[in-house]
Amino acid sequence: MINGTVVDLSRIQFAATALYHFLFVPLTLGLSFLLAAMETVYVTTGKPIYKQMAMFWSRLFMINFALGVATGLTMEFQFGTNWSFYSSFVGDIFGAPLAIEGLMAFFMESTFVGLMVFGWQRLSKGQHLAVTWLVALGSNLSALWILVANGFMQNPKGAAFDPITMRMHLTSFQQLIFSPDAQSKFVHTSIAGYVTGAVFVAGVSAFYMLRKRHMDLAKRSFRIAVLFGVLATIGVVTLGDALGFVDAKAQPTKLAAMEGLWRSEPAPMPFNVIAIPEQSEQRNIDAVQVPAVLSLLVTHSLTGTVPAIDTLEKRAEQRIENGIPAVEALKALSHDPQDASAMAQFDAHKADLGYGFLVQRYAPHLSEVTPSEIQKAAKDSIPPVAAVFWSFRAMVGMGLLMLAFFVLATLYSLRDRIQKKTWILKVAVWMIPVPFLADEAGWLVAELGRQPWTVYGVLPTWMSASTHSVGYMAFSLIGFVALYSVFIAVEMYLMVRAIRLGPPEHGGGDAERPLSRPTLAPRPVPAAPYGTKLEG
Amino acid sequence: MNTFAIAQVIWWVLLGVLLMGLAVMVGMDMGVGAILRYVGRTDTERRVALNIIGPHWDGNQVWFILGGGAIFAAFPLIYATAFSGFYVVMLLLLWTMIMRPIGFEYRSRIDNPAWRNVWDWALVVSGAVPMIVFGAAFGNLFHGVPFHFDWDMTSYYTGSFLSLLNPFAVMAGVLSLSLSAMMGSLTVMSGAEGAPYQRARALAQIAGLVAIALFAIGGFWVHALPGYQLLSVPGLGVPQTPLQQTVGVGGSWLQNFGTHPLLWLAPLLGFTGMLGAVFAARAGRSHLGWWLGAGAWIGVIGSAGAALFPFMLPSSSDPSMSLTVWNSSSSELTLLWMIGFAAVFVPLILWYTSWAFWVMRGKVTEDAVVHDEHAY
Amino acid sequence: MRSFLYFVLFLLLAIIVTVLAAILGNEGAWYFAWLIGTTMIVLVSAAGGAMLDAHEEHLAQSQSGEQRPQS
Repeated sequence: MINGTVVDLSRIQFAATALYHFLFVPLTLGLSFLLAAMETVYVTTGKPIYKQMAMFWSRLFMINFALGVATGLTMEFQFGTNWSFYSSFVGDIFGAPLAIEGLMAFFMESTFVGLMVFGWQRLSKGQHLAVTWLVALGSNLSALWILVANGFMQNPKGAAFDPITMRMHLTSFQQLIFSPDAQSKFVHTSIAGYVTGAVFVAGVSAFYMLRKRHMDLAKRSFRIAVLFGVLATIGVVTLGDALGFVDAKAQPTKLAAMEGLWRSEPAPMPFNVIAIPEQSEQRNIDAVQVPAVLSLLVTHSLTGTVPAIDTLEKRAEQRIENGIPAVEALKALSHDPQDASAMAQFDAHKADLGYGFLVQRYAPHLSEVTPSEIQKAAKDSIPPVAAVFWSFRAMVGMGLLMLAFFVLATLYSLRDRIQKKTWILKVAVWMIPVPFLADEAGWLVAELGRQPWTVYGVLPTWMSASTHSVGYMAFSLIGFVALYSVFIAVEMYLMVRAIRLGPPEHGGGDAERPLSRPTLAPRPVPAAPYGTKLEG
Repeated sequence: MNTFAIAQVIWWVLLGVLLMGLAVMVGMDMGVGAILRYVGRTDTERRVALNIIGPHWDGNQVWFILGGGAIFAAFPLIYATAFSGFYVVMLLLLWTMIMRPIGFEYRSRIDNPAWRNVWDWALVVSGAVPMIVFGAAFGNLFHGVPFHFDWDMTSYYTGSFLSLLNPFAVMAGVLSLSLSAMMGSLTVMSGAEGAPYQRARALAQIAGLVAIALFAIGGFWVHALPGYQLLSVPGLGVPQTPLQQTVGVGGSWLQNFGTHPLLWLAPLLGFTGMLGAVFAARAGRSHLGWWLGAGAWIGVIGSAGAALFPFMLPSSSDPSMSLTVWNSSSSELTLLWMIGFAAVFVPLILWYTSWAFWVMRGKVTEDAVVHDEHAY
Repeated sequence: MRSFLYFVLFLLLAIIVTVLAAILGNEGAWYFAWLIGTTMIVLVSAAGGAMLDAHEEHLAQSQSGEQRPQS
């Protein structure tokens, strides 16, 4: 039995390190494609200003990228170190996308990022452009595989539990990668990254325009960023709506928490614009409602309904009762894998195995389970409503705010009047933190809304952690907090410093720049260090 | 053997290949980090050393990430048990590893001796510690690790942090560090000129000789350690858990070498590679030395893997719960899909990595580093 | 002959891409939408940048044309 404090500490550590990692990832996703856009203009028009832009923004990109890579390492390890039961239970399915991410995406991104930074003099224009595109594609493919893995946690498709090996195994790779959750989460997250990159570039460019510095670079960067941003924000909002549609089917508890739905109501259901949810009393203390809008939003019809928390708890109770024999059969199979009657009992109840695990938290000996313990476990099946409800509203609110900003900014930029509209430039600077906060809020909606499961409906969070002592977990948490605090301070300092310094004033053009390395190796050929395998 | 068993063995080999890639490519960068303050006495000399691997460390590091991901995908039980069991060591590895990207990227952004000194030390630590941990983890496999499982495969580690730092493991850690120091020196030789070149040349020979001595001692030491044998298993290529087998302890870890004498080629490759690299460094042939050093890594890791097979994570507290190729792998379907992905992407990775090295070939001069705003 | 062979090669490539796109569109409509959407976003924003240049050049030309004949 795993200590509850250990589980809580593991969750805090995971949330803290994932939210931290997710400060850097979206900017990488978006900025990489913005770099590709700028360099595309450079290569097609041949205007050196665009090369200067690509070089300047890639410096900022690298400051951000370093921390993204570093904190990504933590995530890759953490499943094994802190969530070992989870890892062995679903590693068969969950590990595969992570490994493919390395093979297909991260390797490409990281190898070419070196060439993107160091290769300006060594590659032809076309080659360098291809390298930049590959960095952008690699970082987004990386996100694709991570979200395929996450999609499995949200809605386990293409897998089944094997009572002989005591873990889940893959049944269909296609179902795993084409699962609607994986797909919709990927597009929503990747495009949210584009928005983040666009707001960042627009904000920094506005900062220069307000100070009348680097006007040529700032105006062009701003134009590209706002066009990029307006399209991406439209995308992120519509895809977010579609994601809600998918969630409504796969994760009714998350949806009910997002909307603060305690009691079932007939269609058309009203929408809580603002409410104060109170979990212990299972009601909203106060709510501002708009009639009929919820049915429209979630089911895209006036006659559709979604189950509320009262209904979902009743369903969970039934499933727990059905899941208990499954867990008991599993125990018997663990002692004797040939036990045919246990296997038959398992097969009859296996759909609710996860719910059996859920109640095991309160009743380690399932034969002695009481109705009140079942009720307690059923209450557990609802995520923390207020947190999910408010994160969701914060995310949507910030998304709409950014949409309004981008529409206005695009309008003025296209009319070439943006440098005179100082108020919107000031707004642009103040917008910089908004997408980052919206990204974090989105993570909270998705992952808090998944509770109490690590794999929705299959594996409860309380079972998933490693069997460490509280001391170990406190030690590692303190270590991460200390290390990460130093990192963020250094990163912010360098980022602000690089922005203040701006691009080199002399223009950073082609000819006057000293070569990073001599274009030709001074030594006689063959000069290829440890890389000649394919040439020779 | 059925398809499942073949897929398991293929993944055992592939994992070995990825670990070798990790040792060679990450080990080289770590080596440069570990010897940074020795080969580079001035700031510019250090920047030269850093910029030799500058365009490549990022890509190389992915071998490490891929290694983790591949263990997770192909042998989830090993990933779960080893990473949680080696907890404090893993944290040490992680905390030092995550200083590296930041050290590289941020060190030269500010022209202040104190700032750069701090990051130089961070790079030394984050070069040396992970390589010691990497070797020590391997060393511990020969002793076995104290862990066992519940009925539902919850794993429990019952040892302490200090028991992971036993003499044999420490020796393996130093072996791994000296090999990477040798590779790092050869890498610096290939890209630097003048004083750093000469220092790296001397260091490559010393590190190589230390590695030869430790590898030889390790061989005799392993011979004296009791080995593990599978006494009964549900079958090869049959889905199973470690709860369904029995394991005996006794004899020697070198038994596999007795039954298959061809395996002696692995340690032979290890010794030849190290010795050849030492002579190549002496002769100033850094590229040849680098390839021989890569051969040495392949020999060393190959020897360890061959000795342990089919064991991957032996349990010292309950040997029958030891993790093997047969009981800790993913399902057949996952393994087959992953073989497919590896077959396509590993050659592709080797191809574009070679291309990246080819594009950035040549010496890094002090002048170029000082004048390039993008340089580390 | 040479250009005909190129024509055949590109035709084959186009067919392969179409088939792949059709499969992706069927199995993973969202992924397909992402590919198209990303390409569109990048190209539109790049075109926006180029448009600004064209606009400024036009402005500079008309100004120099109105005020002074040659600079």
